[in-house]
Amino acid sequence: MSRIGVVVCHCGTNIAGVVDVERVAAEAAKLPNVVFAVTNKYTCSEPGQATMKAAIEEHQLDRLVICSCSPRMHEATFRRMLKDTRINPYMLEIANLREQCAWVHTDKEKATEKAIDLMRMAVAKVEQNKPLFTSTIPIHKKCLIIGGGIAGIQAALDVADAGYQVTIVEREPSIGGHMVMLDKTFPTLDCSACISTPKMVDVGQHPNITLMTSSEVVNVGGYVGSFEVTIKQKARYVDHTKCTGCGLCETKCPTKVPSEFNQGYNKRTAIYKPFAQAVPAKPVIDPDSCKMLKEGKCGVCAKVCPLGCIDFKDTAKEYTETYGAIIVATGYDLIPWQDLYGEYGGGRYADVITGLQFERLVNASGPTEGHILRPSDGTEPKDVVIIKCVGSRDPHKGKSYCSRACCMYSAKHAHQILEKLPGANVYIFYMDVRTPGKGYEEFYDRTRADGAVYIRGRVSKIYKENGKLVCKGEDTLLGKPVSVQADMVVLATAMVPAVGVEKLTTMLGIATDPDKWVQEAHPKLRPVETQTGGIFLAGTCQGPKDIPDTVAQASAAAVKVCGLFSKDEMETSPMISGVDQQKCCGCGFCVNCCPYKAISLVEIDAREGARRVKKTVASVNSGLCQGCGCCTAACRTGAIDLSGYTNAQILKEVDALCL
Amino acid sequence: MSDIQSALRETAKKLLTEGTVTCVIGWGETRFPDKTTPIFVKTPEDAEKLVWNAHCVCGLAKYMLDNRCPEGKLAICVRGCDSRAVNRIVEDKQYKREDLYLIGLPCEGKDAPICATCTHRNPVVYDVLLGGPVPEIEVSQEDRFQAVTALEGLTPAEQYDYWQKQFSKCIHCYACRNACPACNCTECYADQYRVGWQGKQIDKAENQVYGLTRAFHVGDRCIECGECERVCPMGLPIMSQTRKILKDINDLWGNYECGLTDSRPHILGEFDLSDRDDFM
Ligand SMILES: Cc1cc2nc3c(=O)[nH]c(=O)nc-3n(C[C@H](O)[C@H](O)[C@H](O)COP(=O)(O)OP(=O)(O)OC[C@H]3O[C@@H](n4cnc5c(N)ncnc54)[C@H](O)[C@@H]3O)c2cc1C
Ligand code: SF4
Ligand code: SF4
Ligand code: SF4
Ligand code: SF4
Ligand code: SF4
Ligand code: SF4
Repeated sequence: MSRIGVVVCHCGTNIAGVVDVERVAAEAAKLPNVVFAVTNKYTCSEPGQATMKAAIEEHQLDRLVICSCSPRMHEATFRRMLKDTRINPYMLEIANLREQCAWVHTDKEKATEKAIDLMRMAVAKVEQNKPLFTSTIPIHKKCLIIGGGIAGIQAALDVADAGYQVTIVEREPSIGGHMVMLDKTFPTLDCSACISTPKMVDVGQHPNITLMTSSEVVNVGGYVGSFEVTIKQKARYVDHTKCTGCGLCETKCPTKVPSEFNQGYNKRTAIYKPFAQAVPAKPVIDPDSCKMLKEGKCGVCAKVCPLGCIDFKDTAKEYTETYGAIIVATGYDLIPWQDLYGEYGGGRYADVITGLQFERLVNASGPTEGHILRPSDGTEPKDVVIIKCVGSRDPHKGKSYCSRACCMYSAKHAHQILEKLPGANVYIFYMDVRTPGKGYEEFYDRTRADGAVYIRGRVSKIYKENGKLVCKGEDTLLGKPVSVQADMVVLATAMVPAVGVEKLTTMLGIATDPDKWVQEAHPKLRPVETQTGGIFLAGTCQGPKDIPDTVAQASAAAVKVCGLFSKDEMETSPMISGVDQQKCCGCGFCVNCCPYKAISLVEIDAREGARRVKKTVASVNSGLCQGCGCCTAACRTGAIDLSGYTNAQILKEVDALCL
Repeated sequence: MSDIQSALRETAKKLLTEGTVTCVIGWGETRFPDKTTPIFVKTPEDAEKLVWNAHCVCGLAKYMLDNRCPEGKLAICVRGCDSRAVNRIVEDKQYKREDLYLIGLPCEGKDAPICATCTHRNPVVYDVLLGGPVPEIEVSQEDRFQAVTALEGLTPAEQYDYWQKQFSKCIHCYACRNACPACNCTECYADQYRVGWQGKQIDKAENQVYGLTRAFHVGDRCIECGECERVCPMGLPIMSQTRKILKDINDLWGNYECGLTDSRPHILGEFDLSDRDDFM
């Protein structure tokens, strides 16, 4: 015989205002095995908890039902309270009379009836509860950061400065991401490279940071505290342990191909560093253009290298390591606008460029040494049109979201043009101007004072006429069609998740939103955590944002990692799935549907009649299982069951409601 | 047909004599001239008991899970439907393909109503094929789902009445489950009385729970062999349920038939990033 206590909370008037809590308690008292039922003004408060503790002793309760707010709110509070009573913390059920009843109903009579049902279900369930016990898992205090943009860099420095080991995996030959490609940063207009390259150097020299460039994560196993990660480093053909970065090879290499870093506006060699301040400051050979690797002749770099670093036989290498935590910082790419916006020339006009291309054209260390020149003929443009929201806020052709940085960088670009090209005219086509940031509105005001002309409306077509790019659109404020003759057009194109991010998120078992941005665990309260324990996120991989927000998120993620690493081991929830090997037929349906890859099939010895047989059954990895319950729904025979939400418990709840 | 029957006996005899298999599952005579029964042939002499005629209607694949089978490799006679049933069981990981020897028997149709809408009369998998392939018959999607479409034409209230009437006939004999190759669980949910999924009593609620639960358990894996409906002593239109699920799958994802291979994604039980999600 169990001895159940039921406490019905008023929650001030939150619940009691709509639900007749006294009646709920009175109904509870009538149920078999309920030996104590009361109401309480604020159950979660100190006195509320004291009353419950006293009742547990006095009535020798062995199970407790609290009819209060959502378990998301106070389940942890009440479990903690039970820790020093005679009741196991898991012999508790919460009936949600607030969010799921009082707050959504107005009819007092009906709400009370529903509250009684919810209470009866909780009592029926708690009868089936069994004591559960937490266990602990060790934490490997080493952090993996995927992506070496400013987000990854900042997070790495913060975690490493706290004294923990960090590995950065960056798929390009250098860290730096998009930020080092920018010229100046709004709203203060400090030089982007000047503020980001010192951080890159710090990363390169930090004793706690291991840098793995030209590398990608190829496999992830394990769980919070001990992820087993395999990293594949592409062949670089240059031995970085010997290379001093003298750069002689680069000066002699005869093969020239368009530079990715400079957006194709000038050339780099086949053996190259992406840019002067690259970290590591050592070259790699691009196998797609190197003559030696493609055709078997050349080898000039190997001849000139004074230290014999060049190795044409270099191959990709794989490393496997254990990490306690992972930060995803894979950033963004720009939407392939050429495929979507045929009306803007679809890439046919050399002088219709993206904002990122403009950043390189205006940069003193860029292909034009900072002179704003038209890519087509190298002349100075006089009339420049900037078009915002290309691919953003355009659900038909592009994305429905706002890319957040474009309003500000377009203002920045306008300002730069007006400053560098006296007498130039800048026209900005916009839908809205969004400037929510410190000093942003002031910057926008200044740009308009500089003379930038803002035209509210979208450009519907760009075509060439008499050597000019004609931008036709509508000024929606005047309600009139407009047409601007431009020498150059800059498109503020939408940010999209980094190419290939789905592969990574699938490997990590973390969710993405419909646009493939990495999904945070809670948009407000857990913005840098993912749903998977031990995996955090930072920067634009989570959604478009500017550098200040990116850096803030990176530091926040670092704090989360340091918090995790401050302990030697962590408690795991006992509310996980387990398999009844007798019932399990080894069909493996649960394996395929587990979003956390927590289930595998194993072979066991079993008895079948008089025979000893090998039998395949499912087995749950208790470190990986997050207690989501998907598997229990997939299992036809009910062989897999979730502790705390067992089939038996749920059936009893259903019976309590229906019978 | 008698040619194939002698070839079948020869093959079985050879397999047993050479010790390739320990048992051949096939059809044998009964005291009724128009009925056959599944038999387990374990000695070369008994191979003479195997028959192949128009009355070989019982699905055989499910018998590989029967405890009358000795240890070792089994041979099974497979028509089109049996071969798909083998794939079903192998795909559900209840038997290893390498532990089976499949004697393929192209089938011209038997004394069973399901044969009129059979889309694979030739075995889709076999180790030896006795006799040449037979021509397949043309079965349109309309023919295949004709019973379902007829029911879909009714109003929800009429459908409910229809199914109430049908379910009320069920006597919980579980023959449909026992015959079904997709019902290959070690311990069926319906037998787990203590958990409380399925009550023993024959009443409206329990009959309905059984009918619907089984339909959902097998719906996306049903190979359309018709065994469930054939064995039901009470004449329940069981396939109208599973074929309703199959029809919906066909409507949503295009042509879908089960049991054609022994490894395909489990359509309702798996998640892939490239899955259709336009309904969300
Ligand atoms: C034209 C333009 C101008 C801008 N101007 C400003 C400005 O003035 N001020 C401002 O605050 N913001 C500006 N921004 C926004 C700014 O660029 C971003 O906020 C910032 O760079 C985001 O940094 P991140 O680290 O999140 O991403 P990224 O810089 O994109 O870094 C991500 C890194 O991860 C790597 N990576 C990706 N996938 C993988 C993988 N699978 N494995 C390993 N590595 C991977 C990438 O190679 C890259 O190095 C501008 C943006 C644009 C487009
Ligand atoms: S071998 Fe390749 S990388 Fe070296 S100099 Fe020749 S082309 Fe350049
Ligand atoms: S409850 Fe089941 S499906 Fe969910 S994580 Fe655990 S094992 Fe996987
Ligand atoms: S636990 Fe259930 S779903 Fe998983 S393999 Fe066993 S029977 Fe199949
Ligand atoms: S449900 Fe019926 S038709 Fe489908 S596989 Fe099972 S027995 Fe055959
Ligand atoms: S009814 Fe369900 S649980 Fe029972 S054997 Fe069929 S599939 Fe398995
Ligand atoms: S064979 Fe017919 S009567 Fe028997 S359980 Fe199945 S549906 Fe019911």
